[in-house]
Amino acid sequence: MTQPRRWLLIVVIGGLLLPLLLVGCGNPSGGSGVPGRSLEDLSAGKRVTGDEGRSAPSATSAVLQGLREMVLYIGSPFLLRGTLLALQIASLAMAGGLVLGLVLALMRLSSVLPVRGVAWFYIWFVRGTPQLLQLVFLYDALPIVGIKLDTFATAVIGFALNEAAFSAEIIRGGIVSVNRTQAVAATALGMGPFLTLRRIILPQAMRAILPGMANDTIAMIKLTSLASVIFVNELTFRSQQIVSQNFKFFTVFAAAGAIYLLLTTVISAVQAVLERHFNLELDRSAPRQSGLARFLGIRWQGQPSAVPDPESRAADREPANLVAVVREPADLALSGAVMMRSSVASPNNGESGVPFVVCDDVCKAYGSREVLRGICMSVRRGEVVTIMGPSGSGKSTLLRLINHLDRLDRGEITVAGRLVGYDRVGTSLRPVRNLARARADARIGMVFQHFNLFEHLTALQNVIEAPIRVYGESHAAAVERGMTLLTSVGLAHHAHHLPHRLSGGQQQRVAIARALAISPRLMLFDEPTSALDPELVADVLGVIRRLADGGMTMIVVTHEVRFARDVADRVVFMDGGVIVEEGSPADVLGTPKQPRTQQFLRLVEREVGTF
Amino acid sequence: MRNARWLIAVVLAGAIVVALNSPAVAKCEPEKAGATYPNLVGKKIKIAMDPSTPPYTIRDPNDFEKIIGFDADLARAVFKCVGLQFEFVSGAWSGLLPSVIAGQNDAMWSNLYYTAERAKQVDYVVYMQAGTGALVQKGNPKKLKSMDDTCGVRAAAGLGTVEEAAFRDQSKKCVAAGKPEIPQVSYPDMAGGVRLVQNDRADVMLTDLALVDQLARDNPTAFERGFSMMTGFKVGVAIKKGREDLLKALGEGMKEMQSDGTQRALLKKYGLDPTLQITSETLRN
Repeated sequence: MTQPRRWLLIVVIGGLLLPLLLVGCGNPSGGSGVPGRSLEDLSAGKRVTGDEGRSAPSATSAVLQGLREMVLYIGSPFLLRGTLLALQIASLAMAGGLVLGLVLALMRLSSVLPVRGVAWFYIWFVRGTPQLLQLVFLYDALPIVGIKLDTFATAVIGFALNEAAFSAEIIRGGIVSVNRTQAVAATALGMGPFLTLRRIILPQAMRAILPGMANDTIAMIKLTSLASVIFVNELTFRSQQIVSQNFKFFTVFAAAGAIYLLLTTVISAVQAVLERHFNLELDRSAPRQSGLARFLGIRWQGQPSAVPDPESRAADREPANLVAVVREPADLALSGAVMMRSSVASPNNGESGVPFVVCDDVCKAYGSREVLRGICMSVRRGEVVTIMGPSGSGKSTLLRLINHLDRLDRGEITVAGRLVGYDRVGTSLRPVRNLARARADARIGMVFQHFNLFEHLTALQNVIEAPIRVYGESHAAAVERGMTLLTSVGLAHHAHHLPHRLSGGQQQRVAIARALAISPRLMLFDEPTSALDPELVADVLGVIRRLADGGMTMIVVTHEVRFARDVADRVVFMDGGVIVEEGSPADVLGTPKQPRTQQFLRLVEREVGTF
Repeated sequence: MRNARWLIAVVLAGAIVVALNSPAVAKCEPEKAGATYPNLVGKKIKIAMDPSTPPYTIRDPNDFEKIIGFDADLARAVFKCVGLQFEFVSGAWSGLLPSVIAGQNDAMWSNLYYTAERAKQVDYVVYMQAGTGALVQKGNPKKLKSMDDTCGVRAAAGLGTVEEAAFRDQSKKCVAAGKPEIPQVSYPDMAGGVRLVQNDRADVMLTDLALVDQLARDNPTAFERGFSMMTGFKVGVAIKKGREDLLKALGEGMKEMQSDGTQRALLKKYGLDPTLQITSETLRN
C-alpha cells in the first residue's frame, strides 16, 4: 500500500466533503432546511455589494454562509437538470464521435489515396474551424437547405462531428503505435483485416488511445456550454442565468465548478479502470484489486485470493528438465496430432510423389529493386527443404509469396495444386476478393524470426485465437488442443503467461504451437532461431526436428548448417534473387559446386566456430 | 370635488388619446383566434430570449424554471390577448437573432433594438424606446459625464449589441479628434460585464438604462450611473420575415396592451420609466 496515494485520497475526498461538513456544523438550522426554500431565500434579494462583507458579523460566518449557499446550488434541480443535459449530449456525441473517428482513422491509414485524402480533408477542416461556428452553422444555416435540426440533435451531431476529427487522430496514433508485425502474424493465420483490427490491433492500441480519449471526454462535457448559442440550457449557461439574476457569481459558479469536478472525477476513475485493463505489464497473478480501489489507492482486505489456475498446478508437476517433457509422451502427442490433422486436411494423401508446393518463374520487385528473379522450385509432400543464402537474397520474400502475404509480380505458386488467393484470368493471375479466406483455406502455418506473438494475449490465447476466430472451432475444443500443443512444446505451465514474460526460445515455441493450431499442411519457418540466444536455439530446433520426423511438409529459411544437414531432405541455396544451387544436404553443404555457395558456407562455419 | 373633476378630465383626455392612437377597435378577443389566425392556432409559437437580460427576461428567483421580466410578462399578456399558444426558448443572446432568421424560432423577444441593418433580416413590432446608461464605479472615478469623455478609458459592452458598436464609433471619433482610442472589451453575458466594472477591469459599461439604474440602486456602494443617453433606439419583437400572420397577431396584441395600460403597468412593475413607451408600430424593411 502506497502512503502517498492514501494521502492523495484523503485530500481529494476531504476537499469534496469539506463544504458539506461546514454547512452541517456551521448552521444547524440551515442543514435541515428544505433546499427549495433556502434557495429561494438566498437568491431572493441580496445583491453582491462591497459592504455586504463588511456588515457581516464575521468573516468566518460569511465563508460558512457562502459554502452553504454553494451546496444548496449544487443540489438545486435547476442546475442538476443542466448537468444531466450536458451528460446526455456529451455521452451521445462521444459515442458517435468514436465510431466516426475510428472510420476516419482507418481511412487515414488506407492505401487508397482518395480515401486517405477525404479523411485528411475532413479532419483538417473540422479541427481548423471554431466549434462554436460549426454549431451555429448546423443550427442556423442548414434550415436554408431544408434540414432543420432541433437544439438537442444539433448539439449531439455537432459535438460528434467535431469529436470524430480529434478522436480519429488519437485512434490513428494508437493503431500506428502497434508494431506492424502483429498484423502480419494475424494475416498469416488467415485473419481478415477487420478481425485483425478488432482482436489484435485495437486491444493493443487502447493503451495509447485511452488517455487522449479521456481528455476529450472531459473537455467535451465542459465544452457543451458552447451550445448555449443554439439554445442548449446546460450547466454553465444555467449558472450564468442565475448569476445574471442575483449576481452571486462566486457561490453559483463554485457550485457549477464542483459539479463539473465530480463528473470529471468519475471519468478519471473510469479511465484508470480501463487503463489497468489494457495494461500488459501489470502482474495479473497478484491478488486482484478492483480498478476503483486501485484508483483510490485502497486495498480491501479479505478479498478472495486469486483463483487457483491450472498453470500453478502444472508448474508443480514440472520436472527440472524441460527437454524431458518434450521428449516424453508429448512427443507422441505432437507428431500424432499433426499427422492426423495433415491427413484430414489433404484428401489426396496417397500421391506423395507429386510436388506439393510448386514455384514457377516467381518474380518480385520492391520498387526498382528486384528481389526475386525467376525462382523455380518444388517441394514434395512430407519433404523438408531448407533455404539458405546471404541476407537480401530473397529467401524471406519467397516465403511471404508462398502464403500470399505479399503479391506476386510474375510467375505462379501452387500449394496442393491450387493457387493461394489468386484467380487465373487468361494467362495472368488476379488476387481474389477475400484474400483472408483464401489464406485460411490454404492452411499454411508460418513462424517468424521475431516470433510476432500477440502481445496482449497469453500463450494459450495466442494459440487458440485463429482456430476459434478463423476456423470456427468451439472454445473448449480449441483450448484442449491448444493445451496439447503447448504441452508438446514443453510450455504447458506457461499457458497463461503473456509473451513478455517468456524467454525468446519459449516465445518461439509458442509461435510454433500457434502455427500448428490451424492444422497446417505446410509450415514456413523464416529464420526461426536467428533472434535467439545460442543456448535457446536447441529447444526450438528440437521442436522443428520432431515436426519433420512426424512428416510435416516444411520450408525452413535458416543459417543453421548443422540443422540443415541433419533434418533437411534438400537444401536450396539462393543469392541475388535466384537459386544458385540445390540438392541433398550432403551435396550442397558437403561438396558445394558453386563458388558463391562455398564462400557463404565458409563464412557461416567460421561464425558457428566462434561459439 | 375638485379632485374628482380633475380625474374625469384626465380620464377623458386619456380616452381621447387612446381613441386617436387606435382607430381600429382593438380588443382582446382570444376566443376568435381560430378565425383570425387559422394558421397559428393550435401551434406553439417559439419565442427566443436570453434569460440573463434583467429586467427584461430573467429567471424567477423563486422558481428558476420560470421566466419573468418586463419583456416576458408583456409577451405573456400579448399572447393571452390574441389567444395563441407560445413557449419561451432560452439561449445565449448572440444566438437569438440568427435562430429567428434561420427559422429555428418564430420570434425574438429579449430587449432587442431596432436597426435598419437588422430589419433587412427580420420584421419588427416596436413598443418602447431605449435609454442607454453608463455603469461606472461608485464616485465615477474617471468623471465620465458623456460619451465624449470615454476616449482612452476601458469600456465594456455586450457582444453583438448596439452599445458595442457605439463604442467603436466613439473610438473613431476620439482618434479623429487626436484623443486616445477606446480599449474595448465585449462580454458574452451581462453579469460578466458587471463584474468587469466591479473588479475595476473596465471603467464603464454601456447597457440598458433601466438595468444600470437598477444596479446602482441595489448596490449603492459599488456602482453609480455615469451618464445616460436617450439614444432613440426603438425596442421591439423581431419576427421571421414572411410570417405575416404572426406579425399581425403581435401587432394587434401590442396595440391592445398599450390601450388597456398593461404595458405601462409592467414598465412600472419592473422599475422602468413609463415615458419610454412609444406607440407600437410594425416596422419592416
